[in-house]
Amino acid sequence: MRKWFAIVGREYITRVRRRAFILSTLLGPVLMVGFIALMVVFTQSQERNEKILIIDTVELLSYTHEVKGEQVPYCPDCFPLRDFLEYRFTKEDTITKEGFLASEYTGMIEFDESILQNAKAHLYYETAQSVNARSAIKRDLSNAVEKLRVKQELNLEYETYKKLKVDIGLKTINIETQDKNAENRSLVGWVFSMFMFMFIMIYGMHVMRGVIEEKSNRIVEVVVSIVKPETLMGAKVAGIGLVGLTQIIAWAILSWILFLLFGAYAESSGMLTEIMAENGELVAATNLNTFMRAHEDLDVLLQIHWLQMIGWGLFFYLGGFALYGSMFAAVGASVEQESDAQYLLLPVMLPLMFSYILNIQILSSPETTLAEVCSYVPFTAPITMMVRLSMGVQWWELAISALILIVTVFLMIKLAARIYRTGIFMYGKKPTLKEMFKWLTYKNK
Amino acid sequence: MTSTKPLALCLTDVFKQYGDHVALDGVSLNVPEGSIFGLLGPNGAGKTTLIRMVAGITAPDSGRVEFYGSNLIDEDLNNIGYLPEERGLYKNMRVGEQALYFAQLRGMDYHEAKSELTTWFERLEVDGWWDREVSDLSKGMAQKVQFIVSILHKPKFLILDEPLSGFDPINAARIKTEIKRLRDENGTTVLLSTHDMSSVDELCDHVALVNQGKKILEGEVSTLRENARAGRIDFKFRGNLIAFTAALGASAILHSVHSYGDNVNEMVLGIPTNTPIEKFLKWATSEVDVLSCSPRKISMDEVFLRAVNKAKR
Repeated sequence: MRKWFAIVGREYITRVRRRAFILSTLLGPVLMVGFIALMVVFTQSQERNEKILIIDTVELLSYTHEVKGEQVPYCPDCFPLRDFLEYRFTKEDTITKEGFLASEYTGMIEFDESILQNAKAHLYYETAQSVNARSAIKRDLSNAVEKLRVKQELNLEYETYKKLKVDIGLKTINIETQDKNAENRSLVGWVFSMFMFMFIMIYGMHVMRGVIEEKSNRIVEVVVSIVKPETLMGAKVAGIGLVGLTQIIAWAILSWILFLLFGAYAESSGMLTEIMAENGELVAATNLNTFMRAHEDLDVLLQIHWLQMIGWGLFFYLGGFALYGSMFAAVGASVEQESDAQYLLLPVMLPLMFSYILNIQILSSPETTLAEVCSYVPFTAPITMMVRLSMGVQWWELAISALILIVTVFLMIKLAARIYRTGIFMYGKKPTLKEMFKWLTYKNK
Repeated sequence: MTSTKPLALCLTDVFKQYGDHVALDGVSLNVPEGSIFGLLGPNGAGKTTLIRMVAGITAPDSGRVEFYGSNLIDEDLNNIGYLPEERGLYKNMRVGEQALYFAQLRGMDYHEAKSELTTWFERLEVDGWWDREVSDLSKGMAQKVQFIVSILHKPKFLILDEPLSGFDPINAARIKTEIKRLRDENGTTVLLSTHDMSSVDELCDHVALVNQGKKILEGEVSTLRENARAGRIDFKFRGNLIAFTAALGASAILHSVHSYGDNVNEMVLGIPTNTPIEKFLKWATSEVDVLSCSPRKISMDEVFLRAVNKAKR
């Protein structure tokens, strides 16, 4: 046991102290948050001031203001003043291409009576408008035309019409558990499973590389004369699994700190009230919690049973890593250099990839039989179960899945160890999968 | 051939097969306690398989491996030191740290390992390398570290596979001294596999020769040499070659002769094993002017070449 710990310790320490590990652990969450922030800032700063000319020849939307002497919209509310978007109206259709290009306008919309029938307008541009600007223009025009048509065709006041208009929000509730909004939460589960995939993959490759290093350096010869090959393999997988665990925990803590910092900033800077006012929401939220509660997509974060997610997440990571890690070790033991491992890696990576891709499917239709089956199959369970867990699963489903995983891990370690201890002394030729299966039947030692 | 000393290692009829290839075909071996036992043989003879068996890495398909009188078990591995032929160190660790790691794997506690390592690093002049990266080590330096690692835990039984390859003559001599010192001071039994016959002559008191999975020769170095010599002497004289050859008659067999001119001749003669060399010398002095006469020196090279050739026939 002391030897086992010595190996685990070596595997752990030599990796954790690497500069690359320290940097990626500390900077991982910062970079991720920074990247998102940068993207937001970037898109915002990229926003140019659009000046749109609406050619309203038949004066559907605008009229000539007596005092100002220029075209103004009938419905000024429909064309609110925005930082990045401004409208001008004209009833002249004499603007040529050259005239437009020479003008201060960034876009030009032709507007005539036909729009009432086919609800289509043309936006001319010199350089294309951003998605954001386009959708604002679309919204503004729709509102204006809608208002017009309500008046013309129904002879209704717009306010009355608005009262009639309904937009049904669908709140889902599981009748047995009274659980609400399960499918929104699945996104959180998906993020968990993405990390699961990432860590099993990255640190699984670490295991493989470590084994190959020992083999090609012939260190293994000395080590195996002291401890059993299966002990070495097991301790290696455990040591590297702990490295991954360290990084996961560090990232979780750092993300939490960043989140708290952001929350404090958002509260003190009055950003939250600003956003709410901008969206015309009634609740005044001065703290992040109420703000999140008021927004369905953020409220999800408060509904998540974090303790359960993290607890089971760690369990499935450890189980999944033991399972895949020992497979990676067996592959590493069978080759002498990493480039030879490609084709042997395929059977290891396939189930991992499969469950990763399957997750997208599960996100859109969570309660399929496929999802259920995959959460029991030990090779896919660590990844699939995370999505299902976020949506709520029965305790016995978890128990069965966990049990199957544990049993499979033990079997897999035994099998992998057989390939490992034979492969580790095979030099000179690349084994085929068939040969590796044969190794499974070789006698002890 | 047999020794009266207790045996450190006894292999009985060991058989090992890899697929269709028979690596060891009924090999028996007796390694007396406190000896330096040379394991010799051409490449692919089965030496490495045999060594791995003793190091607990593989097990025989059939046959027995006894270590100090009882079957080799995992616990015995703590009493074995092993320096494999193809050896390496972890690249991403420092020299001292790595040596400590192996010491701890061998069950030594930190402080004991540290003080032992300091002594050995000084003795083999690797001190000053403690905090250096392994990649900075020259091949010879790395070899020394590996040697230290394999003997640090004071094993009763030490397996050295080609321990001298890669060393310059000065360091090779130093390692040889250390091996002998381990035997003389600690009573360590050493199983040494090598191609280098001169080191066998220098170091080993017992040897075994394996070829194509079979042991073809085993015994004490002095006995083997005596047997191979089979009464041969080197004889140099001044006198008439033809007359002397005629006078030899049946009392000695002439194996080869070389004439230097001026009546100086050198011969390799075989005298009957029951005739002492002094008796022959007394007779020869009466016939010719003897310049030199000595029992023929047979190198271990010759002993083994003969044994291998004999096995082939």
